[in-house]
Amino acid sequence: MTIKKHLHMKSISKIFLICLTALLVPGCNDVLEEHPYTAFTTQYFESEEGLSSAVVAAYAGMRYNYGPVGALDITAFGTDEWSNGDQALNQDLNIYNVTTTDGSILTPWNRNYWHINLCNAVVDIAPDVEMAEGDKNVLLAEARYLRANYYFLLVSQFGAVPLDLGSGELKFNTEPTTEFYRLPVEELLVKNYQAMIDDLTFASENLPDQRPVAAFRLSKAAALHLLAKVYLHRGYSAAKEGNDFQNAYSFAKKLIDNKETYGVGLLNDYADINKEGNDYNKEIMYSVERLPLNNAANEIGSPGTDFANKANQSNNMYNCNYQQAVPATYYNADLRGKSLFTSRVLQYGRPLRRFAPTQWLFNTAFADKLNDSRFDNSLRMVWLADTWEEEGTAAYDTYVNHLAGMGLALGDTAIYLTKTDAIAESLKALTGTKKKHYLIVGPKDFYSASNATFQVYPSIKKFDAVKRANFNDASGRPFAVSKLSETYLLAAEAAMQTGQTDEAATLINVLKLRAAYRPGLSAEEITSRYDKIKVDASAINLDFILDERSRELCGEGLRWIDLAARGKLIERAARNPQAVNIKAFHVLRPIPQSQLDAISDPDKAKYQNSGY
Amino acid sequence: MKQKALLIYYVALRKSVCPARIRLLLLCVFLSSMASAQNVVTGKVTDESNNGMPGVSILLRNTTTGTTTDAEGNYSLNIPSSTDQQVLVYSFIGYLTEEETVGGRTVININLLPNIETLGEIVVVGYGTQKKSDITGSLVSVSSEALREVPVANLQQALQGRAAGLEVQRVGTTPGSGARIRIRGERSVSSAEANDPLIILDGIPFEGGNLNDINPDEIKSIEVLKDASATAIYGSRGANGIILITTKRGTPGENRISLNSYYGISTVARKYPVYNAEEYRAMRDTSPWNGGYMPEEIESINTGRSTDWQDLMYKDGYITDHNLTVSGGTEKSQYSVGGGYFKETTVLPGQDFSRLTLRITNDLQIGERIKIGFNTMNTYSTRNGASINPMFNIISLSPLMPAYDAAGEIIKTPAGNLDDQANTYSPLLLKSNNNDWVDRVRRLRSFNSLYGEVKIIDPLKYRINIGLDYRQEENAQFRGSDSYFRPLQGNTANVNNTVGYGYTIENMLVFDKTIAEKHRVGVTGLFSVQKDHTHNTYVSKDSIDQDFVQFYNLGQSNQSTTNLATLSGSETTWGLISYMVRVNYAYNDKYMVTLTGRIDGSSRLTDKWHQYPAISAGWNVIKESFMENISNVVSNLKLRAGWGETSNQAVAPYATLGGVTNLIYNSDWNTNRNLPVLYNFGENVEGGYYVSTIPSKKLVWEFTRTTNIGLDFGFLNDRITGTIDWYNAQTHNIIYNLQLPPTSGVSGTYATNIGRMENRGVEISLTSVNVEAPSGFTWSSDINVFWNRNKLLYLQDGFQRNIASGLHIGHPLSAIYDYEKLGIWQIDEADEAAVYGQVPGQLKIRDISGPEGVPDGNIDPDNDRKVIGSGQAKWQGGITNRFKYKGFDFSFVTYARIGGTIVSGVHQPTAAYLTNLDGKRSGLKVDYWTPTNPTNDFPMPSTRITPPNAGNAWTTLGYYDATFVKIRSINLGYTFSGNVLSKIGAHAVRVYTTVQNPFVLFSPYMKAGGVDPEATGTGTTGFVQNGGNIPNRALTVATSTPPTRSYILGVNLTF
Repeated sequence: MTIKKHLHMKSISKIFLICLTALLVPGCNDVLEEHPYTAFTTQYFESEEGLSSAVVAAYAGMRYNYGPVGALDITAFGTDEWSNGDQALNQDLNIYNVTTTDGSILTPWNRNYWHINLCNAVVDIAPDVEMAEGDKNVLLAEARYLRANYYFLLVSQFGAVPLDLGSGELKFNTEPTTEFYRLPVEELLVKNYQAMIDDLTFASENLPDQRPVAAFRLSKAAALHLLAKVYLHRGYSAAKEGNDFQNAYSFAKKLIDNKETYGVGLLNDYADINKEGNDYNKEIMYSVERLPLNNAANEIGSPGTDFANKANQSNNMYNCNYQQAVPATYYNADLRGKSLFTSRVLQYGRPLRRFAPTQWLFNTAFADKLNDSRFDNSLRMVWLADTWEEEGTAAYDTYVNHLAGMGLALGDTAIYLTKTDAIAESLKALTGTKKKHYLIVGPKDFYSASNATFQVYPSIKKFDAVKRANFNDASGRPFAVSKLSETYLLAAEAAMQTGQTDEAATLINVLKLRAAYRPGLSAEEITSRYDKIKVDASAINLDFILDERSRELCGEGLRWIDLAARGKLIERAARNPQAVNIKAFHVLRPIPQSQLDAISDPDKAKYQNSGY
Repeated sequence: MKQKALLIYYVALRKSVCPARIRLLLLCVFLSSMASAQNVVTGKVTDESNNGMPGVSILLRNTTTGTTTDAEGNYSLNIPSSTDQQVLVYSFIGYLTEEETVGGRTVININLLPNIETLGEIVVVGYGTQKKSDITGSLVSVSSEALREVPVANLQQALQGRAAGLEVQRVGTTPGSGARIRIRGERSVSSAEANDPLIILDGIPFEGGNLNDINPDEIKSIEVLKDASATAIYGSRGANGIILITTKRGTPGENRISLNSYYGISTVARKYPVYNAEEYRAMRDTSPWNGGYMPEEIESINTGRSTDWQDLMYKDGYITDHNLTVSGGTEKSQYSVGGGYFKETTVLPGQDFSRLTLRITNDLQIGERIKIGFNTMNTYSTRNGASINPMFNIISLSPLMPAYDAAGEIIKTPAGNLDDQANTYSPLLLKSNNNDWVDRVRRLRSFNSLYGEVKIIDPLKYRINIGLDYRQEENAQFRGSDSYFRPLQGNTANVNNTVGYGYTIENMLVFDKTIAEKHRVGVTGLFSVQKDHTHNTYVSKDSIDQDFVQFYNLGQSNQSTTNLATLSGSETTWGLISYMVRVNYAYNDKYMVTLTGRIDGSSRLTDKWHQYPAISAGWNVIKESFMENISNVVSNLKLRAGWGETSNQAVAPYATLGGVTNLIYNSDWNTNRNLPVLYNFGENVEGGYYVSTIPSKKLVWEFTRTTNIGLDFGFLNDRITGTIDWYNAQTHNIIYNLQLPPTSGVSGTYATNIGRMENRGVEISLTSVNVEAPSGFTWSSDINVFWNRNKLLYLQDGFQRNIASGLHIGHPLSAIYDYEKLGIWQIDEADEAAVYGQVPGQLKIRDISGPEGVPDGNIDPDNDRKVIGSGQAKWQGGITNRFKYKGFDFSFVTYARIGGTIVSGVHQPTAAYLTNLDGKRSGLKVDYWTPTNPTNDFPMPSTRITPPNAGNAWTTLGYYDATFVKIRSINLGYTFSGNVLSKIGAHAVRVYTTVQNPFVLFSPYMKAGGVDPEATGTGTTGFVQNGGNIPNRALTVATSTPPTRSYILGVNLTF
């Protein structure tokens, strides 16, 4: 009996032991710690791959600012260069009926801060990452260049913007906040410029000298270019410092003088700079990249319908309505009521008809369309008969017959915009065998808000993208951010502002000489043309510089900022007949209503730019 | 530690599937049923009021020979002839065990007396059991009788309408669909899951949802804990209520084999009302559609031919369930082994659900002080056709088009318009499946619980519960080239594999003692740890080389760069560590107090530990001396009051960490999905990660404080018993995703504790024996009535409503915010209609206001919408009536839901495209306006029916009164007794027949053309387009498999 009891007790204690173990084992706090596998936290950035992936995302975020509809709207509308095309979407920006709820201003506002914060994360976390110092400095320099560019785009549109996102100035924000650190604005603007200059100085010292041959990773060239530009802009701003223009000049000049070191140079022919397939040429220092026909790489869900997000629509936005049926008043009865194009074609893209050139751009900036090759190489005046339909299909034959009915064949000129009305009239006067069967439209008949008979106008062709799956699709081409030609313009402008007009003229004449070049012309002819367009030091002033920027860079997503930063917006927008509502305060965009709604301070007005 | 848990689990699994063990058990069964010379003892066991007591265990002492009493309290037991003194032991929970020497007698009647110690019914509460009379919180039991009397497919059906305060809403109409269970309303806006009650099965949390894993035949009883004083012991998971499920286990006595089987046929209860050929033609000719008739349609017009697509598609479905259980044991060791097979098909081809279950339990007493046991529950289920839905085509195909050609072959493209001809294939193609498609979810679950109990020193007891859970699910989808689902398109397939596993370890110390006869003290202490993990892998691929490959090898496909596979996956792990103490004190059975405190530490929070207090008290008024005078009328009276604080699991794992992601949301006219963040440097494409959420370090649970006051009563010697509860539950710290200003540097929203919500309500339950005739005829009723008032009180400063999220301050979460339909503009109202830019025949909408605050002659979304209703019922309830006479039992279950608004998506023209009356397709038959039919129901067939600036006002055509009264089931059974049983050697036999969903007594929605007054789901699931008006908690009717009625024949056999 006692033995049995003993055994019994033994088994009880055994079980107790097991229970006790069960009681103690789970006590380890591991149960309460989270170690997610697929949900990445910012810890991921503490590895080399993680840090590098953050920089990739910061590069990718730049796509919002270069190519999409909103980004183009806020840089083209309401300038001396561009007015509304006949599809007047978002025309509020063009007519200066800008409101706090305008969608296009959200493009930089809603997208840039979280990329700035991402760059902040890279800068803050990088010191803790174990990797080769050299590689780390390049990542840091890339992040700081990108942060400066994100800020540059915001400051150019909105004035002072927060450096403190919640965790301190230029710090990676880990604090959810409904505060808006924008005050006092004057002080902040000073800090904004200084932050950009610090970042770009670091970038210009730590980035590689040259970018890869066929890729746009950032290089010293890109950093020096933007650094010069930021100094120049600060020189015009309320935050200006004494030697801004001098600094702008030196950094631009440093780049120009060391072209070979930085692997950059001007092309011989202006026509080659923006040519599809030549996107990685040495004149372009930094482009926001895309790949033809690769929607995944371009972060596009549906290239035919994506008008927001990161889709590059530059190839479609400037196109006029080349499909329009010819008005019944047209002199040639064969064409009346007919469309020259029954389908859209890859070459001419989707006619989104958003931006039409102002008369100033056509007549004044490009007054000389012969000696300066840049007009012909920037704007399309001729459309050749073409179809999307495949040869051998019934639709193809129908189009061929349709053309024949107008006296045309595939490949013939279908639409011809003439440079002068006289040319148009003389062409229209031809009869008999000399009669022109294509649509002839002279400048007086180009589309404008007051003349919509013909919905055609000169259309930018710098963004032509034939490598697409469908005529409506967004572009798969990179979008240029900085080109050496613009560095020359920045240097010239800075030289002028420091009193060196001779130097300014010299720099600009480099571009003028190149503009005179056309393939096939003799050296004498080129010299003769150059003589007619070259500039004298005495003619150099800010307006001339701005005119020259149009000739060199029109349509490239710079203009509104160019004018606003130099205090020239109000004056020059007067050349845009639709921009009649413009007021002094329009040099800054309004702080978006959604931002003000989301902040906790009930006194929203004090954060708003004046006038809105 | 992880390895250790796995090891334990592995051993358990080995045990559960080891064939040798099953063989051994079966051997036992056969051995014990072999008998030599036998005596038969019969008799009846009665209780203190001389009623027959069912379920009393009778055991021949020191043997395994035993039985239990039948429904009338009768028993019959074969005992071996013996010269020894034989003693029968009669035992029943809550009653004193009686021992009776047989002494050669053949009839022994016994009267059992209640155990004073444990007077009355014992109910399961969290972490233990309690005397019903001691309970101070609010809980409701679903009796085993109620669970048994109606054959059900799943747990949710078993619960529907059975308990006050419990609302069960189905989600989907295909077999194997889930359910949304709500106890006392909703209290979280963050997700649907955050409002799900916690389910505890045999003491172990049943994670991973899916109630279909539970075989309802294995359930012995269900308790629903409702108020905070009852649920506070589950702390951070108590706020949504607790459902405690206790499964059947072996009882001491003879080895029993029981078979519960039924088979039933289901037919379409109500077809969708559609146009016949003539009516469709009339509508089409009125409509703006001028596509012309197809040649076949013209032929039909000439010959008077009409096709009823529903008749051609529907077939009878069946439902069948078979459960075989072997159980028994001695006083020291009890076991049960059971297997079940269930299958349900429906009236559409390709939709079914089947479930195989295997369960083994064992309870073992080792010596005087130790008891151990386990339960392994294994379920394998297959669900087919859950996401196929041909109803749109069935309803909208032209009745003028024939289904078969002259040779009797199915016409592949039977659409009545040229636009649809290319891409609409005949649903009849679904009736055969020639590698055309696969839509299958296979699921395996093994849910195991083990316990050990040690009586340390009386009255102190230690208990350990261990739960081990494993879940695996494969969702395989394939759509063949140019099949019904892929007209003129290539094939596509995807596979999603999900694995989940977890463990629970609970250590409990229980102290129970009565001091000086009047002071009863109970203390329960708990330390528990739980961890759960799930992850999934998803792959999707098109252009598979051959259709017969289906989804089995997606590598056999075109893998060019434009045909890449889509891959994804996810992982979630969470843990919970808890300490709990509960103290019960009762003085003289009159005054009771319960104190509960729980501390939960959760992996989901940064600030991990939170405390949950609760207090409740009861007063057994009936025990007071002043009640003695009326004791012949009032037989029970108890007052309860309680207060406590609990939480719900509104914080998802990892939600506080903040995160970086490589996916970015892309929305345009065609796509709304996440794309990977990629960027190219020349040809070199690289992936990127960005910061998507800021760490929410301060995020804590939502806290609900509930006050509950209850009254339990009994009249006329408890012939009428019942309970009334009133409660007020205030939830604060509601988690809301604040939109941070963009300048905070994060693109997403930020979850923070900010809001407040209220749920108040009343619950009444009543049980009454209406007739108890000497002839043996009885009529009894179970009634429950309840209502809940849910109200969103506060979200953030200045917040009045978020229309897109369906949040409106001062209204329930199911509030519907929309225009108000007044009717249809009539001809004599043409001038008034013109003010609104409308013509007679178009929708007439109330001009509520304008920019100036007064009606402005313009209907627009900003000024003319308001909260027009909600899914919340005024009250709801159920009645079960039972009639018994001799061996017969008859019952029927009635369910009523009064008030509220149902959103009939099928009636919203642009949600389901079935009432858009565009003539291009047929659709639901509605009363539409024509100059000669001046109805106010539906507008005239037209391209525009709404006011010009209120393009979405078509949604107003889908709102109906959600009230209905429905008979859920009618049941008739017969229980055999006496001679018949002994002839076939059975212990108990019951045969029954049931009609499920026999008819609807009242429903305004059905009167208006709906097929079923019960919603098919919640939110916009199954809608083609959302007019922007439907919160995801609204009750909605989508185009789905029509309601069915089942006729079931079943038998319950025990040998």
